[in-house]
Amino acid sequence: MTRSKKNLVYTFAFWILTVLSLSAFAQKENVYQTFRGTRVVNGHSVETQREGELEMIIAHRFGRVNGGPYELFGLDQATMRIGLEYGVKNWLSVGAGRSSYEKTYDGFIKARLLQQKVGGWPFSVTYMGGMAMRTLHESDSVRALFYTNRLFYTHQMLIATKIGDRFSFQVSPTLVHRNFTESRAELNDVKAIGFATRLRLNKNIALVGEYYYILPNQLSDLYFSPAGIGIDIETGGHVFQLHFTNSRGMTERFFIPETTGNVLRGDIHFGFNMARTFKLKGRWY
Amino acid sequence: MVLIIRYFSALLVFLFAGNLHHPATVGEDWDEYTPVQEVLETLGESAPAHRLPGESAQALMIIKQGEDIVKRGRTIGPNGKLSPYVSKYFICTNCHNIEQEDPDLTSRDPELRLIYVREKNIPFLQGTTFDGIVNRESWYNDDYVKKYGDLVKPAHEDLREAIQLCAVQCSQGRPLESWEMRAVLAYFWSLQFTLGDLQLSDHEMAQLRAGSSNMAHYASLRTLIRSKYLQTSPAHFADAPPDKDKGYGLEGDPEKGKALYELSCLHCHNANGVSEYVLDHSEMSFRNLEKKIPKDSHYSLYQIVRYGTWAQPGHRPYMPHYPLERMSNQQIEDLRAYVEQMSM
Repeated sequence: MTRSKKNLVYTFAFWILTVLSLSAFAQKENVYQTFRGTRVVNGHSVETQREGELEMIIAHRFGRVNGGPYELFGLDQATMRIGLEYGVKNWLSVGAGRSSYEKTYDGFIKARLLQQKVGGWPFSVTYMGGMAMRTLHESDSVRALFYTNRLFYTHQMLIATKIGDRFSFQVSPTLVHRNFTESRAELNDVKAIGFATRLRLNKNIALVGEYYYILPNQLSDLYFSPAGIGIDIETGGHVFQLHFTNSRGMTERFFIPETTGNVLRGDIHFGFNMARTFKLKGRWY
Repeated sequence: MVLIIRYFSALLVFLFAGNLHHPATVGEDWDEYTPVQEVLETLGESAPAHRLPGESAQALMIIKQGEDIVKRGRTIGPNGKLSPYVSKYFICTNCHNIEQEDPDLTSRDPELRLIYVREKNIPFLQGTTFDGIVNRESWYNDDYVKKYGDLVKPAHEDLREAIQLCAVQCSQGRPLESWEMRAVLAYFWSLQFTLGDLQLSDHEMAQLRAGSSNMAHYASLRTLIRSKYLQTSPAHFADAPPDKDKGYGLEGDPEKGKALYELSCLHCHNANGVSEYVLDHSEMSFRNLEKKIPKDSHYSLYQIVRYGTWAQPGHRPYMPHYPLERMSNQQIEDLRAYVEQMSM
């Protein structure tokens, strides 16, 4: 590309970005509830908590439904995560949780960078940065692990748009960094692109779906891309999310690089998220 | 501008309170901005119990504090710090307007009110406006005793008690401290009626001015002034129709229903409103409302408007009901007609 063509492209890009930025900050009404909760299935949605609100999310993932009646289709086994999320500002949330799976603690920060507007800026963008620490005692006494070997990091840009009253779509480029991997064949940095969608059936019920495409040549053949479908049920201050997914993990550190369930084999887990919001600061609504 | 004039009117009342009883020619100065209470006291009426004593130049600041409490639920207190919210759930303007909302101050006709508030683009709410609230002589009238029982007795005759009842029961909050009460009252006094609000004819104004120097006319002039506005805010409760499907048997006007939906329902049930039940103009919102209308449940439109909801342990925000004077049976049918039209 010649220099003058490059300049033309840069100038064009500059004006496009300027116009879009101005429309993003124009005094227009925000699009609300692109997703109902801060989670789609396993992964984060673009939503943040409202300022002063604390949300408790209790999540369960049962065993595989193809375990048959002996395992009561997976209900005999369960992993769970209890998490708290707090809205420091409307655009800034912090959260922490603990998963029984590998006794893992996690924390994250979520910042809404852009907000979709009615008749204006067309999508919302939220950054999510998280960290997790596995505290499970190592079974391999020969191979000593450092504290840092237990740490995991996640960076994610959640880009979502709500089209009309019923349909929402989200794309989320994600990077999971693992300080330690089980084999040299696996990369420490795992890159993935998440896709999520929500279709409202009526005022209180919506179908949701989620899929993370793991870029090739990063993981061993044991692992699969995580996917899930579910239903969101809204009942006033509660949100119930019931879903089927091929992952038992409920944080990015698990479900992106370590999903072992093959959907085609029927390795599907039933699970649910239950969220309850408490107002800690300011007026209730 | 009108607000500033009212502030100054209120300030004048504070400054000259107690010096108004025997002016020789004071009536000559009366004009549309003259507070009604000032005129009544000049004409020999005693000051009401909620009248504030004469204040210093602090009055404007106190009025601003009261306005903050009414509109935002808190203000900067005498200690220089932000006061705690009166209620975690509501502010006064969730249920009350602060502007004139009835075209005729002698009537509480919700049909006429809807036309008026549509023109002014102000909400159509359950509670009576604060405009002229200090000029009334009773509060929590008529059927409110059915809702609040003995709590209404002191509130019925005393504006301070009425404000406290509203703060504690209606808004599920805390009692106002004395400085907060003074501030809210000062703000309310800034919203008192002036002679201009009473829409007196030129002849009546001349009558007033002339009669102000003749004590023999005081009683009749007071009667004249009182005939220009209601001293109470009537409140009669009504039942939902027993058969929700048939409703009240009136034909609804969806065009009026649209105004009610926007000026009444959406005032609280918007995305940033005080209710977690969010409504908008989407088909889903209308369908959700529509399918509940014929059901004999708490969530039928009829039931919600006529009985509201209740504060419960663990979930104290609730929706107050509409007395007949605040929404007529015909208007509920108008609202139903609009909801049904939009859900198709």
